[in-house]
Amino acid sequence: MRALYTAATGMAAQELNVQVISNNIANLRTTGYKKQRAAFQDLIYEHVRRVGAQASDQGTILPVGVDIGGGVKTVGTPRLMTQGSLSATGNDLDVAIRGEGFFKIQMPDGSYTYTRDGTFQMDAQGRVVNAQGNPVQPTITIPQNASGITINAQGQLSVTLPGSSTPTTVGQIGLTRFINKAGLQPIGDNLFTETPASGAPQDGIANTDGYGDMQQSNLEQANVEVVSEISDLIAAQRAYEMNAKVISATDQMLQSTAALFR
Amino acid sequence: MENTLLVGLSRQMTLERQMDVVANNVANVNTSGYKADKSLFQEYLKSGAHEDNFVGADRVVSYVQDRGTFKDFTQGATEQTKNPLDVAVDGGGFLVVQTPAGERYTRDGGLQINNQGQLVTAAGNPVLGNSGPIVFQPTDHDVSIAADGNITVLEGINRIDSVRGKLRLVSFAQAQALLKDGSNLYSAGGGAAAQPDTASKVKQGFIEKSNVNSVLEMSRMIEVTRTYTQISNLLQQQSDLHKSAIEKLADVPA
Repeated sequence: MRALYTAATGMAAQELNVQVISNNIANLRTTGYKKQRAAFQDLIYEHVRRVGAQASDQGTILPVGVDIGGGVKTVGTPRLMTQGSLSATGNDLDVAIRGEGFFKIQMPDGSYTYTRDGTFQMDAQGRVVNAQGNPVQPTITIPQNASGITINAQGQLSVTLPGSSTPTTVGQIGLTRFINKAGLQPIGDNLFTETPASGAPQDGIANTDGYGDMQQSNLEQANVEVVSEISDLIAAQRAYEMNAKVISATDQMLQSTAALFR
Repeated sequence: MENTLLVGLSRQMTLERQMDVVANNVANVNTSGYKADKSLFQEYLKSGAHEDNFVGADRVVSYVQDRGTFKDFTQGATEQTKNPLDVAVDGGGFLVVQTPAGERYTRDGGLQINNQGQLVTAAGNPVLGNSGPIVFQPTDHDVSIAADGNITVLEGINRIDSVRGKLRLVSFAQAQALLKDGSNLYSAGGGAAAQPDTASKVKQGFIEKSNVNSVLEMSRMIEVTRTYTQISNLLQQQSDLHKSAIEKLADVPA
């Protein structure tokens, strides 16, 4: 009976749903994390009696047909790129983006990755790097004896040098945006890479031309809402159980047939 | 005499199909915009194999046939997602989707933007506006979708909304004539012509959930299983009757 396999697709889909939800909950406190959700679609249908078929030569048509569906499939796990809330940290090199755009990070192999996580540090050479020690683009080197780091809304990083009363601009943190930011590929470590689906990266300057602005001493929290995740989790678990019940009910029907005419 | 078997079998076959329908509904209990299917049965009269078994007017045997599955187009619950590209259609309207096979219709409003800036479904097919696909510019942000489907954005540093198109909503006088294509899409079968729909409203930041009523489906499932088992028992009794008849009638005394 088809119902067995249909219910199995339902169980597989809900299992994946729980995986996605649990990853969201696990990343509840991950800076710059964007939640995912599982998107489902119904599978193909067998049109046993096609609706609208001619029911007679008088032109009458069948008002309803017999359509038997084959279950459910996962079409994707799109990421919700909405703004996370900002939390003040007091750390000079923490930057949050309010609005569109990603920080651009150069990886050790020379390729670029993109992130919303603005937890930056200084490395031994004074460069501004992310938590993995990879430089933020364009590379900014802070002089050794500098103090009073400020980052303005455009991402300009200025410091106060000894013997000078006016701040000196040492560089500008850039932003990159994509026409389809949900099409970026996550590679872990809060980083994303460009894909054919995301479109080409467009580098720009914060607070101009639709790019977001930068907030120093703030970090962007994950956009996961724990209440909606928990209610989704309950719904997924119940859906899984119901599909399991369909399998056992179908099994009972098959058993009663198998028990006939012993 | 064999009619019991055949009548029982006709019911069991329709029950199996009904179980398939229930299983598909339950599998899609979390599918956005999914509309539940319901089974319809009808009596199918046929003159019996041995008509002399009956007297008078009782000369027909009544079988069961599944006449159709009708789609329950009632509104599903809407869930707030806060995603600016999620839309729920409030009313009887459908979104129009451009697929390689032609125009298709959907209630699943979990939309995305593709690498060309087009508004697409989760499967990547463009969603149509009143004048073709809706295309966003690279510097567009703060997408806003009005209740009538009008899509506006802020472009670059502009503080004035730019219009990017208007979602095309259609409805059908005979929605039952729509054919489920899978992938949350419907195609217009015979007798279904898409009419522009101005009565339906679009809600941005919401998703329409599946309208499968899980309690109803579970009770229907139990009903199907119990009926199926009862008929199996009936067939068993009929077989026993047969068996004892053969044994008793053909019992030649030694």
